[in-house]
Amino acid sequence: MARYATLLLVGVILALVPLTTGGSPYYSRITTLMLVLMVYAVAFNMLFGHTKQLFLCLGALAGSSAYLSVVLTRELGLSPWATIPLGILVAGFLGGLFSYVSVRRGLGVIFLGVVTLAFSLIFYNLVLGLRELTNGETGIVTQGLGAGILEGPRSSYYMLFALLMIALVLYSALMSSRVGVAFRALSDDELTAELAGIDVTRYKVIAATVGSLLMGAGGAFYAYYTGLISPALFSLISVDIVVLITLVFGGMGSLVGPVLGGAAVTVIDELVRPFGQLNVLVYGALLIVLFLAFRGGLVAVLRKTAKLPIP
Amino acid sequence: MVPILIDGIVYGLQLSLLAVGITLIYGLGGVLNLAHGQFAVVAGVAAALLMGNGMGAAPASFLGVAAAGIFGLLIDRSLLVPAYRYRGEERLLLGLVLTLGLSFVIDGYLNLSHPNVSLTIRLPMPSLTVLGITIRSAAVVTSLLAILAFGLLFLFLRGTLLGKAIRSIIQNEVGAELCGISPSRTRTLIVALSGLLAGLAGVAQGLFSSLGTEMGVEFTILALIVAVVGGVRSINGTFVAGILLGVVNALASYYMGAYVTLIILLGAAMLTILIRPSGLLAYWT
Amino acid sequence: MSPRNDVVLAGERLTKYFGGSPALKDVSFRVEQGEILGLIGPNGAGKTTLLNVISGILTPSAGRVLFQDRDITGMRPHAIARLGVARVLQTPRPFLSMTVLENVEVGALFGGRDRRGKTSTAVDQAEFALRLMGLHDKRDHPVGSLNLQEKKMVELGRALAMGPEVTLIDEAMSGLNPAEIEDSMRLIQRVRDELKVTIVWVEHVMKAIMGAAERVMVLNYGQVIAGGSPGEVARDEGGSRGRTGSCPCSGT
Repeated sequence: MARYATLLLVGVILALVPLTTGGSPYYSRITTLMLVLMVYAVAFNMLFGHTKQLFLCLGALAGSSAYLSVVLTRELGLSPWATIPLGILVAGFLGGLFSYVSVRRGLGVIFLGVVTLAFSLIFYNLVLGLRELTNGETGIVTQGLGAGILEGPRSSYYMLFALLMIALVLYSALMSSRVGVAFRALSDDELTAELAGIDVTRYKVIAATVGSLLMGAGGAFYAYYTGLISPALFSLISVDIVVLITLVFGGMGSLVGPVLGGAAVTVIDELVRPFGQLNVLVYGALLIVLFLAFRGGLVAVLRKTAKLPIP
Repeated sequence: MVPILIDGIVYGLQLSLLAVGITLIYGLGGVLNLAHGQFAVVAGVAAALLMGNGMGAAPASFLGVAAAGIFGLLIDRSLLVPAYRYRGEERLLLGLVLTLGLSFVIDGYLNLSHPNVSLTIRLPMPSLTVLGITIRSAAVVTSLLAILAFGLLFLFLRGTLLGKAIRSIIQNEVGAELCGISPSRTRTLIVALSGLLAGLAGVAQGLFSSLGTEMGVEFTILALIVAVVGGVRSINGTFVAGILLGVVNALASYYMGAYVTLIILLGAAMLTILIRPSGLLAYWT
Repeated sequence: MSPRNDVVLAGERLTKYFGGSPALKDVSFRVEQGEILGLIGPNGAGKTTLLNVISGILTPSAGRVLFQDRDITGMRPHAIARLGVARVLQTPRPFLSMTVLENVEVGALFGGRDRRGKTSTAVDQAEFALRLMGLHDKRDHPVGSLNLQEKKMVELGRALAMGPEVTLIDEAMSGLNPAEIEDSMRLIQRVRDELKVTIVWVEHVMKAIMGAAERVMVLNYGQVIAGGSPGEVARDEGGSRGRTGSCPCSGT
């Protein structure tokens, strides 16, 4: 129950954000991108926070979905409403496949990390190489979906807000069902979980598939919102690393961790921006200091200070 | 065909040299060093700065490599200390985040303070002809350096008491501790050694073409892939994986060209991991 | 329903190679409904390997495992567990983020087939198992705060909450003091008597197994070298010391 109360609170706060930014297009864009980051972080939380699957192809999954949809729409004249679901499904399928293969081959966390890292680089180079379809580094101009959807700052914010809430509700529903128990058990000890009758493969693949579907959805929404997609938007540095920092900073394995992390990283990003060239250095230093100072992330700090069992 | 294979082996030796430090630190310290490529860059930048001040290429390179070793030592004694308090997966995770942060700090600092520094070392004689095959002399020098480094590493691990201690820790940290081997000191030594090896790879890059401050991430990713394909705990495996991927790279770039090469290389790495999840040499060593 | 002497679990010529040398060689056995079968032998004799092969952690190089006449060879551990073959590991590996009750509940939730004939919730089954284990008082404690024997009981409790036909127990007694051994031995007998669970029990503590098991099977170098009632095996052991070497299974 605490889960749904928290969800409501998060929903209300995020729904009110556009009112505080006034009409500023700059802040509207920043806050919309923050929502994208939160969606990514919810996805990664299922993958890594709950089932210890280190996917280093988050950007590539989001990008596969985005590029597939945008390129098919452009080349074949299909409706984005048809290609977006296709892109999302492909991302989900790829994630599920990586998970299935890695569990059945008994790959440890690092090996899965490197297999997905290789996929990530393959994706990046494919997009660069298939210039006729993707325009290479230049990228493809995109536009909203018509009828005010993903068009204009406010509508876009609320579309991504809706996606985030769907992601969070889905997450809560999974976590309060037996799937959630299975996630907890297998992240504690896979062998014991398996011996207790839990199909570890199945639950890891579920986590990976749902997480990858969310990455795909986030990527596709982002693509039509942002106006121009290029491989740089989906690179390891601009997605995977940032999402990892977001989740670790917010708190792994919790409902509000990705939300808190997303907000915090967005704020830090704004604070560091004036330093220009220096921001990479500041990010690195922050990552080290924050992670050493509180391992459990912001959620753990909140739980301690507020003495509340925040989900 | 032969020149292509030679190219592949030359590049493969560089890959192995770059990756072996990751294997050493992971095997001995249980930390996957995501700042490994930056160690190579540190050596290269140090050498370049010294050369800029009029020092000869050889002593500057030597000092650059030494700088990377010292840097490794300092990192082990400072940044990695909190990670060593944990074991197993906890340590791995903490190590990943800390070294990732470190790689940002190094990249950020170098791009800020030395944005245009790059290391290029030119040899007096650009190419040699042996048995009718012309090879760049840089290829010969870097390969000899890599072979020498691996030779010394094997001698050290097989032939000395300390080397045996190190191999025993790779197998069992707790057991080694019980036998009176200090894991923390050996670890420091290994992280420093790993820094030296990365530094050597950085200097080799300078000999080969040129090394810039922004290349750390690329080096780290390459090293990571090679080390993991080799099984991440086996030095022999890393060596073989480097050569294998080097040859794949040379063949692919000869027959395919351009971006397809990289995709084939990465695909080969993925396949190897999936076919032999415990490393190339899992059944032999 | 089923009379005694029904074979519930059987192995046929099970062989398992690790690299070149066999850890199990042509091991055949039958376990009858409702019995306690003791599995003994020196370290490295293949006892744990045999349990791993039965519970699906390892796939045998050759041979079959039959559970209620059904071939379960090569099935994955969770499927075997759900069919009704529970496994208790030698070293407890509990779910450390959970309480005692939650630990046991996982077994009821995922492996559960209700053996008590009425539809009951996972919590009920878990509480029932905890009462039997004498851990009901500590149901809400984090499992990490328990001592070794209690942790072993949690593992057994989780196995029983699954409502198994057969429970494979690996060294329930190692690391326990004599009083704890006595308790555990009684408990295992009670489990069999009250829950009608068939038990295959690997044990080093000879006193415990000789007191509780109806039948004993002796493994050495991966082969079955003796079998029969505890009394018979003890006599054989005395006669063929030379064959098993100095048997370290003579513990307290």
